[in-house]
Amino acid sequence: MAKLRKFNKVCMLAGASSDTEMVAQSEEIVRNYDEAELYEKRVQEAKEKEEQERLERLMKQSTEEDALDKNVKLMSPTRMVVRRFFRSKLSVVGLVMVIGLFLFSFLGPVFYTQWGEVELDKSGKIKYPDAPSYYMITEEDGTTYEVKMTVTTFQEDNMLAPISKSHPLGTDYNGYDILARLMYGGRISLIVSFLTVIIITVLGVVLGGIAGYFGGWVDNVIMRLCDILMCLPGIPILLIVGTVINSWAEKAPQLETYRIYILMGCLSLISWTGTARLVRGQILSLREQEYMVAAEAMGYSTARKIFKHLIPNVMPQLIVQMTLSLGSMILYEATLSYLSLGVKDPYAAWGTMINIISTKPDEVLNYFNVWMSPGICIVIAVLGFNFVGDGLRDALDPKMRR
Amino acid sequence: MLKYLIKRLALSVLILVGVSIIIYFLIRLMPVDFVRSKIDNLNQGGAILTEDQVSNMYSMYGLEENPTFGGMVKGYLNWLKALCKFDLGFRFTNGRPVSSEIARYMGTSFAIALIATVFEFLIAIPLGITAATHQYSIRDYVVTVLVMIGISLPSFFFGEVLKNIFAIKLGWFEIAGSLGATGSETGIANLPAYFSHFFLPILTVVILSIGGRMRMTRTNMLEVMNSDYIRTARAKGLKESKVINKHAFRNTLIPIVTTLAGLLPSLFSGALITEQVFNIDGIGNVALKAMNSGDIPFIMGYNMFLALLSVIGVLLSDIMYAVVDPRVKLE
Repeated sequence: MAKLRKFNKVCMLAGASSDTEMVAQSEEIVRNYDEAELYEKRVQEAKEKEEQERLERLMKQSTEEDALDKNVKLMSPTRMVVRRFFRSKLSVVGLVMVIGLFLFSFLGPVFYTQWGEVELDKSGKIKYPDAPSYYMITEEDGTTYEVKMTVTTFQEDNMLAPISKSHPLGTDYNGYDILARLMYGGRISLIVSFLTVIIITVLGVVLGGIAGYFGGWVDNVIMRLCDILMCLPGIPILLIVGTVINSWAEKAPQLETYRIYILMGCLSLISWTGTARLVRGQILSLREQEYMVAAEAMGYSTARKIFKHLIPNVMPQLIVQMTLSLGSMILYEATLSYLSLGVKDPYAAWGTMINIISTKPDEVLNYFNVWMSPGICIVIAVLGFNFVGDGLRDALDPKMRR
Repeated sequence: MLKYLIKRLALSVLILVGVSIIIYFLIRLMPVDFVRSKIDNLNQGGAILTEDQVSNMYSMYGLEENPTFGGMVKGYLNWLKALCKFDLGFRFTNGRPVSSEIARYMGTSFAIALIATVFEFLIAIPLGITAATHQYSIRDYVVTVLVMIGISLPSFFFGEVLKNIFAIKLGWFEIAGSLGATGSETGIANLPAYFSHFFLPILTVVILSIGGRMRMTRTNMLEVMNSDYIRTARAKGLKESKVINKHAFRNTLIPIVTTLAGLLPSLFSGALITEQVFNIDGIGNVALKAMNSGDIPFIMGYNMFLALLSVIGVLLSDIMYAVVDPRVKLE
């Protein structure tokens, strides 16, 4: 039965026009039919084989680097993001910069133990004046002598030493080793900016989340607070806080030790507004999505809805924002240190190390190693975080796929 | 529209009151004897202050023997009342009224900021457009990397580097920013001197601010380039230059013009750090010196001035948004 149906089909394919012709040709067609069936079978097999090969090729490629677009389905979203991140050269460069600085600051002092942060180089040196002074002495018998007088002074501290084996980057104006101070200064800068960003993010997520989720008067109060804080000028306000701390420092000297932490704490108190607005905006749009209606129908608690269903969806933008603000926090910390509001005197921060040119300009300006190296460290740190943040933004944004 | 404006103005007043509360109570955190010594110094310095003015200052800056909360609020209201009449008190360092001092130093800062802003836009916008039209090409990468370096430079460091190389080592420009003894001539004759003094500070500001503007232009341009009417323009066979300049760029202008309005007030606020590095007599540098010497009335006045400027800036850019883009309706 099946054969007959197929036979008819083949007849039609062969283009038979009349019954007589059909009968005449039927014998041949039956023979042809077998061939056709065989042919069809072969084509089918070939196709299957091709498909099989293609799949095998794909499977093979999925383990290789370059076949990203063809096998997207086989990857988890996280892996896709990682792939996209590492495909951009800039973000890899940024990551190397950031990791390099971290190793330099936190592991550096472990290996570089010649000098500590506040260890003065007491080796000293004899300082000759640029030009010796000459005196004319006339003896009683009339002969005159010219006396050359050279006054040498012995400096206890080996300050402004050139680059040498014992000081790979020389010493600074006080005789501290610059390389060691760069490492310890990096610790302060990185720790302080990380702490600040963490506080900003926690404040921003909690307040922005509350504002976005509850709406109404809560939203109004928080957003007006945001408006007020956004109109506060950042650095000038921090300078006021610095003045307040300094005016109390006579009575409570320990305040000066924690000054930079207090200042950056104040900074985080006035700069959570950006994060809060971002979180609020996202939650406002996510709240209307169907899965939130489902969560509502399941009778989940408010906390669970916010922290398990809404916050994870804000995470990508939040991570990007955090990385980018790390860079600006390092800049803030450096600026405050430069304005002599940083860590207490003998201790180092990158900004404090540059500060020396504004206090002792003429001599130190010629010693590039003294003030250029901390500046370069700041630029590398900020640039690294900016590159990583940019790369993350592109990697996390599905629309940016190219 | 009118209703929206009134609502926004009321909100601005609320914001300013909030800012003034924060600033006042921050200042009140200072120890009493610190402030008192400042006021006493003022009188010893030869400033002519009547008994009345001194006692007024004492209550305004909270110098009662035992400051109570009620006394604090009273002092704040006192200060606020004076603030409404634009009376910001007298500077502790030279006894001049703060408001006239702000007006006096504003000019220099405004000139620098205006020129810097013009150059910033002239350079950043074409860069942003080429980066967007050549997305992911070598040109895009080079521009992006250079601009990112500009964003990442600390202003004091970059300023010092420029000063060291071009003013001290090469001697092309003057080191100190203010027109000192040479500033006797006026007008056009003084132009070379002005140029020599203000070139480096302006360059610093421009390089540091180009990045943000360029990236904004690039993002907006990319967004516009992906829209349907650009495809239509290309499909009907327009030249690429016409597509970009006439169709795409014009719509990129909307956010640019909006931010321009928001920028207007910040032209007056002065660049704190840059002015300090180049020692320019601008309002930022004066404020910085005031903060170092504990000149409380000037600090408070300057911060309120900045807050007022940023409130006006936000308001202007919101209004400008509706003016430039007819699709936006203010409610």
